[in-house]
Amino acid sequence: MGRQGWDRLAADFWQSPFLQPSMNALSPDLDSCASEPIRVPGAIQPHGRMLVLGAATRELLAFSANWTDAAERTQVLAQVAAHVPDLAAGESAAALGTIQLGGDALDVSAHRAGEHVIVELEPAGAGNGTQAPIYSLARHFLPQLQRARNVDDLLAIAVRELKRLTGFGRCMAYRFDAEGHGEVLAEAMDEGYESYAGHRFPASDIPAQARDLYRLNYIRLIPDGEYAPVPLVSLDPVLAPTAIDLSLAGLRSVSPVHLEYMRNMGTRASMSVSIVVRGELWGLVSCHDRATRFLSFPVRAACEHLGRLLSVQVEATQERVEVERRHELRELTFNLIAQRHDLDASLLGLVAEPAPLLRLARASGVAVVLDDACRAQGEVPPDEQILALAEWVRRRGTESFDSDRLATLWPAAAHWDGVGAGVLAISISQVHRHVILWFRSSVVQTITWAGRPYKETRVDGRIHPRSSFESWTEVLRGRSPAWTSAERGAALELRQSLIGIVLRRAEELNQVAAELRRVNKELEAFSYTVSHDLRAPMRHIAGYVDLVLDIEGAKLGDKARRYLGHVKDASAYSGQLVDALLDFSRMGRTALKHGRVDMAALCNEIARELTRFESARTIEWRIAPDLPVLWADPTLMQVAMRNLMGNAVKYSRDRPVTQVQVLPASRDGMAGVEVVDNGIGFDMRYVDKLFGVFHRLHQSDQFEGTGIGLASFRRIVERHGGQVWARGVPDEGARFGFVLPGTLEKD
Amino acid sequence: MLKPILLVEDDARDLELTLVALERSELANEVVVVRDGAAALDYLRREGEFTGRTAGNPAVVLLDLKLPKIDGLEVLKAVRETTELRSLPIVMLTSSHEEGDVVKSYELGVNAYVVKPVEFKAFVSAIADLGVFWAVLNEPPPGSTKAARRVAE
Repeated sequence: MGRQGWDRLAADFWQSPFLQPSMNALSPDLDSCASEPIRVPGAIQPHGRMLVLGAATRELLAFSANWTDAAERTQVLAQVAAHVPDLAAGESAAALGTIQLGGDALDVSAHRAGEHVIVELEPAGAGNGTQAPIYSLARHFLPQLQRARNVDDLLAIAVRELKRLTGFGRCMAYRFDAEGHGEVLAEAMDEGYESYAGHRFPASDIPAQARDLYRLNYIRLIPDGEYAPVPLVSLDPVLAPTAIDLSLAGLRSVSPVHLEYMRNMGTRASMSVSIVVRGELWGLVSCHDRATRFLSFPVRAACEHLGRLLSVQVEATQERVEVERRHELRELTFNLIAQRHDLDASLLGLVAEPAPLLRLARASGVAVVLDDACRAQGEVPPDEQILALAEWVRRRGTESFDSDRLATLWPAAAHWDGVGAGVLAISISQVHRHVILWFRSSVVQTITWAGRPYKETRVDGRIHPRSSFESWTEVLRGRSPAWTSAERGAALELRQSLIGIVLRRAEELNQVAAELRRVNKELEAFSYTVSHDLRAPMRHIAGYVDLVLDIEGAKLGDKARRYLGHVKDASAYSGQLVDALLDFSRMGRTALKHGRVDMAALCNEIARELTRFESARTIEWRIAPDLPVLWADPTLMQVAMRNLMGNAVKYSRDRPVTQVQVLPASRDGMAGVEVVDNGIGFDMRYVDKLFGVFHRLHQSDQFEGTGIGLASFRRIVERHGGQVWARGVPDEGARFGFVLPGTLEKD
Repeated sequence: MLKPILLVEDDARDLELTLVALERSELANEVVVVRDGAAALDYLRREGEFTGRTAGNPAVVLLDLKLPKIDGLEVLKAVRETTELRSLPIVMLTSSHEEGDVVKSYELGVNAYVVKPVEFKAFVSAIADLGVFWAVLNEPPPGSTKAARRVAE
């Protein structure tokens, strides 16, 4: 049958009742694009012939309309029938040899498609046996593949080889990004072809169902984009030609929309070879020619093989790169964690030396948030914004979060002026706001599209593929480079390790607490022993000295009496020291019994008492009426205030008029009081020694005392979770104050 | 005849000083001294070496807290568990005012609790006060000789 006859048949076909409206090649409808039945077009390309057999019956069910000679069909049928049982479903077409039909040599191939066997015949290609293209592929391509160091190398080799095998004018390899856009990474072409290197082909160029098909069938060839489809003719009244699955058929007729796309691109012939990595369509090698380009079955088989080899190599190379990166990241994580052992449990310490942390996620800024504390380094937004973001991340309830365009999810980030356009965060605790955040600043991305990446709807209201492939540049702002799965993985691994540390810390703390309890018990036993065993000898010394003085005092000389007096005083003083030490230790051991403490009432009472003891002196008390009411242990508060006010009176005894003020104080949201005197004061150089047990800044013959009052005072305040302070100027006076958490409203 | 004061003290110096203090407080009561808790209980129960002593409880027991064999708290407990001795006044003498001892002593029903002061004068006056209060002023429990003496007078 001549070409004209085929065209006539084709024209008949397009008017046949089998056709659904959307399949009408002359009026591709916009909506049809995604739902177009590309696997079951009911037609083939005209450069070959097709037979469809029942897989079980081996009877002829349908044939392509360009094969009118029934005798030829029967001849082929007889020849292939024996091979039918060898064809496994899902496998690509198997070569069944060459046959002579009417003086033409034709390559026969066949594959299973469900219940059908599809037999395809096309003009035989040159070269068989060791001349077959597949052997040349093995000779040329494989050694080069082995030498490739990275994915870019692989793709460059693949496009060169594919061009050599097929003679297409331009072969280019592109990889799909996360959004499905294809970026051209390698290209090989003849002179006069436009270069698309570095361009992007928008995702919309390849509809979803076409992608699915590419994953299944590694090769798709359109030798002549101007072809007229040849319909399949069914011999079985129940079998519609559009029910025959041509997914794996080399002759499958393609979508009219795609043919229009080819025309718009100025391409007469096109071929694509799939790169499938881990079951996903990773990329395509796409070949174009301005002229028609027919490829024989052996050449196509070699191309398909190339695609599979390339896929395996890309997968292996990617895995190797990922493993290397993971290894590097793991080492970084390990080092980060190793340093943790030297520092305190605080995560905040992580940012002290931010370089490894930044390198871990290739970030330009990093922040650690621990409840309300925030430590940040590098290019980061303001602290309060980080805290708010950390809270938002925590509330998501996921272990990690990342975005390369934070402002679309967290609008406040839009005002950060490019800082932190991308964020990767790990939430370390479910309960607390313990979050580590990495920030990447925005990069202005310039994307060169191979034509405006938007489908066009023209006045006729139908979908058309884009008509322009002119370079079109798009500038993207407010985005950071995307976070890779390796970086996300490293962040999660760091999270795991930190959780491990936190758990171990908790365990250690438990041990320390147990040890503390043990030591406390020992101390209790010790002070008990001191109280009994040390106090008794002191009592004996004092007792016997008294007895000697009583009984023999009159007979002793003045000197001897004075010496014995010293012995007595010393033993009495030792007794006081022991008593004070016991009181002090008891203060730390007994449980706090909280109650309402009206500081004004308490201070007035102590002032009256102290005045009574020092009736010979003139003491001017100025106790502010607005002293706070505290939530504290009333007994201990009394001891604390007695110490402070007693000191104020004691150290101002040389003044003609002692002035003591008691004023309200506040600090860090806590409230308390401050006692100010006009006494001998102290040198601020020694302020740290002031609160130590038995530390005294004055000679003991100048001012009596055990040196334990301020230590007790501090201990009491600290046991309440408060703060103490002291200010002094020698010979002018001193001020001692404290604040406690838990202020009560005065009645 | 005045009922005796039972002094339970193991430390020789404390014992001497306490006796001096009691002497200076000019109490007429006889002072019976035992050196450990076991002897104290023997005396009170008229057992062991005290099997033959005259019947009757002391006016007051001055009981040291830390004692060999049976310590002060144990003696106190045993006394409170014995019907004939239950109402015997007991004053605990101790070297310190550790809170645990105070609480335990009161739980066991001690009548008074005295921390021996370091200064001897204070010690004398404390002992004197105790003696006067418990041996002279305090209303004696039934069965003590003071009540009998009052009846006799």
